[in-house]
Amino acid sequence: MEKKFKPNIVGFLCNWCSYAGADLAGSSKTQVDPSLSVIRVMCSSRVNSNLILSSLLWGADGVLVAGCHPGDCHYEQGNYYARRRFALLKKITKILNLEPDRIQLSWISASEGKRYAEIVNQFARDITKKGPNPLTRNSQT
Amino acid sequence: MNKNIGVYVCECGPNIPERIDVDKVVQEMSSMDEVKTVKKFNLMCSNDGKKFLKEEIEKQKLSHVVVAACSPKDHEKTFMSVCQESGLNPYLFQLVNIREQCAWMIPDKEEATSKAVKYIRAGIHRVLYHNPLKKKEIEINTDVLVIGGGLSGIEAALSLAGPKRKVHIIEKTDSLGGMAADLSQVLPHQGSKMDLIKKKVEQLESSEFVNINTFSQVKEVRGFLGNFEAVINTHSGNGGVEEKEIKIGAVIVATGFNLFDLKKNPIYGYGEADNVLNATEFEDMINSEKILLKSGKKPKSVALVHCAGRKEQGYCSKVCCLYNLKFAHYLRDHHPDIEVKELVIDWCLPHKQDQSYFEEAKDKGVDFIRMDELLKTKSTGDQIQIEFKTNDKSHSVSVDMAVVAPAMVPSEDTTKLADILNIPLDKSGFFKELHEMLDPVSTPMEGIYLTGCALGPKNIHESLTQSHATSGKIFSTLVPGRKIEPEVKVSEIKEDLCTGCQTCLSVCFYGAITTDSFKGVSVVNEAICRGCGNCVGSCPSGAIRSKHFTYPQLYQEVLDALR
Repeated sequence: MEKKFKPNIVGFLCNWCSYAGADLAGSSKTQVDPSLSVIRVMCSSRVNSNLILSSLLWGADGVLVAGCHPGDCHYEQGNYYARRRFALLKKITKILNLEPDRIQLSWISASEGKRYAEIVNQFARDITKKGPNPLTRNSQT
Repeated sequence: MNKNIGVYVCECGPNIPERIDVDKVVQEMSSMDEVKTVKKFNLMCSNDGKKFLKEEIEKQKLSHVVVAACSPKDHEKTFMSVCQESGLNPYLFQLVNIREQCAWMIPDKEEATSKAVKYIRAGIHRVLYHNPLKKKEIEINTDVLVIGGGLSGIEAALSLAGPKRKVHIIEKTDSLGGMAADLSQVLPHQGSKMDLIKKKVEQLESSEFVNINTFSQVKEVRGFLGNFEAVINTHSGNGGVEEKEIKIGAVIVATGFNLFDLKKNPIYGYGEADNVLNATEFEDMINSEKILLKSGKKPKSVALVHCAGRKEQGYCSKVCCLYNLKFAHYLRDHHPDIEVKELVIDWCLPHKQDQSYFEEAKDKGVDFIRMDELLKTKSTGDQIQIEFKTNDKSHSVSVDMAVVAPAMVPSEDTTKLADILNIPLDKSGFFKELHEMLDPVSTPMEGIYLTGCALGPKNIHESLTQSHATSGKIFSTLVPGRKIEPEVKVSEIKEDLCTGCQTCLSVCFYGAITTDSFKGVSVVNEAICRGCGNCVGSCPSGAIRSKHFTYPQLYQEVLDALR
């Protein structure tokens, strides 16, 4: 019997908003899909294409980057830089044949535990539907 | 270096074992090569727990420590200080969050357990790449530079000098007091009198802790919180400029405002029609106690026109409604033979006594006229005709004199000063606070604070309150005798990899990166850097490393997430 596909998703969360939002999801006992593994960074602007593409190349089925809402960045404008870099990376992933919808950028504040859970659960569902990262699929065959 | 990693799983009372099989976690971790010891403990953050961890570090001669417990927001600092006390560099420690982001969000025990294993494994692999970072301490200067000798600046200087803090106050004109000193009286219903301002100036002038520099401007400010250097230019009487350098620990920007130039829009008739005055000119008339037309005759009627420049500037100046009411009260009280018509678009009466002040003006016979939009102000013979629109219909009033209330606009040197201080402006051209609600007097540059109308239109008591806030900020950050500890997890640039492209300079919001023009590379000032890592993300040659969030450290976490 074929085993049910469970994706491996990497989530880069900014320390000030999104990581705190994830903590809040936990402390209010909201169920969150375990397929996402959290990596804490200080700011979403730290997450560049190196980290995202490496994750995909090493077999991540999806990558979520989450930062503070526009205007609320702890470092004033970091999330705007993250957004710009992300827009560019989306185009690059297309060129590399990497399926741009495997990467997502979201804004989650420290008070949005429920939103964190919704975003992660939805992203996990979307990725599950898409199936495994084609790079790992190819390497398995 | 010998690597002895100690892994400790905290049960957090019943919180973690309820959802995670802690024994299984311990067993899984024991099989890892890098790990010397794995133990569970009931409550690591308790005094017993801290004592236990300290003994473990010392006895087992641990080189790295991983604690799997709550969120780093809760107890990262707690365990880091235990490491420090035990002689282990606190940055050779990693706290793995298996409570909030594992036990509490994954109801299935088996799933939660394997997730915890995954996270702890990542923590172990990550901690191996940690570097022992060193805390730095920097000596501080506690003196303060106040830019602007208006009421906001005076109040800030006074509240600092009171408790014997040395203050340099810079004023570009010949005297202190600013715009408020020219007023005939501040709002009488709010209880303050003009001599209060005079008293404040006198108090400042007599203080031995205050160094007053009139005819002076700031030419340059370098440095960071606790260690600024400022170059001050003072114009001497014979046209020369004297330059001096001072050392300070913090800067307060209190540069105030200017008035909207009514000539910019012909609808106000200012400069065109005789007997159209702006509010300051009318203040002067009140001061001289002569309300007279150009012809030397006394006017029979005066119009007070609100909201000049509001539409052009895009904001309400907050104080004009009240000083127009002040004029109305004055005219009715001292010249009851003059008819007063007040042309109002919207009322802004935010403070507790303002409403009754307005009602009283009504009782005194002031004629309040609502307008939606001012159309034109022109002279017709001896009179001034003001045309306006209300409910889509045109109306007009004729008066002998019109007093127009101009909006408050940024003072003329604001842009230049923003550039000198490396702090941002908002879209109206005023200085921008770090956060309008949550950090209303700070700027992105630590140690540079804002007060009064430099931030936007404000009345006197709001300005004074902000000045107290800035001095409070300074008292709590720059304590005499105490050193400051800058952020440790900062960025660092490898000279041999840096191509000198300066991309990092343009993305750094704090101005922490400069160019070493001799070597042609960028350099991080660690005292200013806040460690966001934006420069790391932007560096095309990978020359920048953010300490404690390096690529190898994050890659380890990624690899374990995918394992």
